[in-house]
Amino acid sequence: MSSSSVEDIPEQIKDLFTQDGVLLKACLGRPVTDLNAIGMLCIVQNTDGTKCIEWRPNDLITIDSDTQDHEWAVVNTIGRRQRTLSGNLTADYATAKARIIKIPLEDLKTFRVTRNNQQMQFSTKPGVWQTTFYFQHGNAEIFVAYLKNHVKSAKTRHDRNTYMVVEPNIESQVLNKSFAELDIFTENTTDVVWNLVSNFKQRPYETTLEAFSKLTDIVYYGNEATNGKRDVSEEVAELLTKSMSAMDEATTVTRNDEYEVISVKPTLPPRPCIPRGTPLSTEKWDALKDTQGRITEVDGVKQLIFRGGVAHSIRQSVWKYLLDYHPWTMTHAEIRAHQKRKTEEYFSMKLQWRSMTDGQESRFSEYRDRKSLVEKDVNRTDRTHPFFAGDNNPNLVVLQDILMTYVMYNFDLGYVQGMSDILAPILLLLNNEVDSFWCFVGFMDKIVSNFDMDQAGMKNQLLQLQQLLTFASPDLAQHLAQKDSGNMYFCFRWLLVWYKREFSHRDIFRLLQVRFLLSALQSNLLGKQLGFKDNTAEGIYHQIVSAPHLNDQIRVILGHQPLNISTSTQSDDDPVEPSTSQVNGEKSILGQDVDEVMYTRVCRKVTPNILT
Amino acid sequence: MAKTYDYLFKLLLIGDSGVGKTSILFRFSEDAFNISFISTIGIDFKIRTIDLDGKKVKLQIWDTAGQERFRTITTAYYRGSMGIMLVYDVTNEKSFENIKNWIRNIEENASADVEKMILGNKCDLDAKRQVSKERGEQLAVEYQIKFVETSAKDSLNVEFAFYTLARDIKAKMEKKQEASNPPGGRSGVQLKANEQNRKPTSWLARCSVL
Ligand SMILES: Nc1nc2c(ncn2[C@@H]2O[C@H](COP(=O)(O)OP(=O)(O)OP(=O)(O)O)[C@@H](O)[C@H]2O)c(=O)[nH]1
Ligand SMILES: [Mg+2]
Repeated sequence: MSSSSVEDIPEQIKDLFTQDGVLLKACLGRPVTDLNAIGMLCIVQNTDGTKCIEWRPNDLITIDSDTQDHEWAVVNTIGRRQRTLSGNLTADYATAKARIIKIPLEDLKTFRVTRNNQQMQFSTKPGVWQTTFYFQHGNAEIFVAYLKNHVKSAKTRHDRNTYMVVEPNIESQVLNKSFAELDIFTENTTDVVWNLVSNFKQRPYETTLEAFSKLTDIVYYGNEATNGKRDVSEEVAELLTKSMSAMDEATTVTRNDEYEVISVKPTLPPRPCIPRGTPLSTEKWDALKDTQGRITEVDGVKQLIFRGGVAHSIRQSVWKYLLDYHPWTMTHAEIRAHQKRKTEEYFSMKLQWRSMTDGQESRFSEYRDRKSLVEKDVNRTDRTHPFFAGDNNPNLVVLQDILMTYVMYNFDLGYVQGMSDILAPILLLLNNEVDSFWCFVGFMDKIVSNFDMDQAGMKNQLLQLQQLLTFASPDLAQHLAQKDSGNMYFCFRWLLVWYKREFSHRDIFRLLQVRFLLSALQSNLLGKQLGFKDNTAEGIYHQIVSAPHLNDQIRVILGHQPLNISTSTQSDDDPVEPSTSQVNGEKSILGQDVDEVMYTRVCRKVTPNILT
Repeated sequence: MAKTYDYLFKLLLIGDSGVGKTSILFRFSEDAFNISFISTIGIDFKIRTIDLDGKKVKLQIWDTAGQERFRTITTAYYRGSMGIMLVYDVTNEKSFENIKNWIRNIEENASADVEKMILGNKCDLDAKRQVSKERGEQLAVEYQIKFVETSAKDSLNVEFAFYTLARDIKAKMEKKQEASNPPGGRSGVQLKANEQNRKPTSWLARCSVL
């Protein structure tokens, strides 16, 4: 516990970034006894706004996680706990304090990273490396990444590891800061998230909070997240990766005589915080209907559902509307009649294939092919879910009957793998053959281009995804292109069945629900607001839309009218190869090695949220 | 960075939907079998490093979706493959007949010297068998491709199939290495295949029915 008072603290400085496990290897003018001590390397901001790099030996730092003194609550990246400087200040404090090394950023001239990211040297005078630090965790590049947002630097031509400071950059970069702090809880639990959030709140960085509005999601909806397939740490890892790709060197290198100037690439504006509404309740849903059951405020209802979802108890009923089975403006009586007609229609189509004799079937190869595909897939659909588990499960028969009837409903399209994945959650929710069939029909109508014979719809989506990624995260796009994955084929499954395979059923209900609305919103409500799975995704959407360098290509992908300012799809400085050729199969993911494949896997987790 | 393997081979599994490609791969990589598998959408992959004559060989195995509709996506993965497993289901005549189409697909999309192997899977289901072993062998002779019947369920010949394919690729690679490195001057380092020096017929002679 803190035994000292705040007055003992000589100055009110703020730690912007801290890195633990850093040894002092060499320092001009310091006694040898000071060397090889382990400590913390920080970037700090002084009260007057100036910044410096500061190294503090560990014996000066005490751990005090209960501190009330939030001015001093320093979240560091390696120790994964809170540390303060206000702890037990001993008699040795003065001597210890003398061992602190400060390098004002104003004075910093050059710095370099050597020895496999393990060593960093600083100089305030050309020709002399005054201080040398050793990074125990070999992660000096993280420090550099952060430092680069406080000083404008350029890599020297002769030595790629040496940076010259062009001028100190006073603006602090929100995303980097967040990144530094996010790193803390990659292996931690909700408690830490709470701490972090409260920490954020006490700091005058609302922008940080905004950028990571998703954090509050984890906290507030934390129980949901842990009940589902994905746990909190996974979400956090995802956030971390996101923030990394967002901060990932937003710079380009241009050549100069002496050195290469690193200039800032156009980046996205800060992500706005889009709060999620409350789910549509049973009462509200009933209240939306007039006395005869008509719903007139259709756009309004869609907005409500889109923003807040629906209470699970009315999901069954709501989906029938969202999937165009029940027309919004029908009265209760009309719906009953409608349902009756649809039931008859269903059973007459079902009879068509049910009454097929073996002989007929043997002379009808196209039908046979479709039937065999259905049979194979029904046996492989969500069999781990209790609803579909076990031998002779009657629900499998229903699944099969609906899919076979759909074959008769749309014989040309027939059965395509992935359809059983899409039907399964619908059947699970509605638990009624006829209703599920027509809702499935409604959903298929929305995503039918995913199942084009020539895969044109999928190719187009993958191309758009690649273009969006190039716009929103050029570095990631470039990396993928380098690894022969610019064709985005690794996203194929996500897009084909709407992430059905990637999430728990519970999450899938919510996600699909948004998908049902997307096309409706795209045609009716666009220009006002377009939404996504959750507020983070929508936030990203707004980031992209309000980016100053937004071009028509991206505008069109997002469903906006082109402004005809720039219509070229591939500009000269586009870092990624033209992807049309890749989509045509001229590139293959097989060029990559496994580490790179793993990277792609990480991306897998990230991209759906960014780009859906 | 230190490599944990001497060779990296990229393999591909193709064949009709439901013949058991994913099951075979799961057996090979996890040594397990799961009756309620999910169909493959698009592509997937697994890794296993095996020991071949003292060399660590890392197998990066790509599993494709069998359905015709996904052909445009899956054929993109043919090109980089060094070995391709053609799988049919011995209880499904159609999947056997389609092997010819799959071979044509390889000819159109894969590199000319890719190693191939035909697998007749589900040989544990003797009661339901529609394709005899002899017919499988005949087909293999016709195309000069190695052939073996497998069962992912009973773990029959799965290891053998992958080892055989990997060994053939390794042998071919080392042969090329020798061809481009005159005797005595062996560097011992894995060499890039020299497409120009390739003798397209050389491998045919070695191929036989197992
Ligand atoms: N009895 C038996 N069943 C098998 C064997 N291999 C696969 N199966 C079953 O056959 C079905 C299809 O297997 P998969 O491995 O999913 O088939 P696939 O070739 O990957 O199919 P797609 O992904 O659709 O292209 C599953 O239900 C498996 O349990 C086998 O060796 N013996
Ligand atoms: Mg499969």
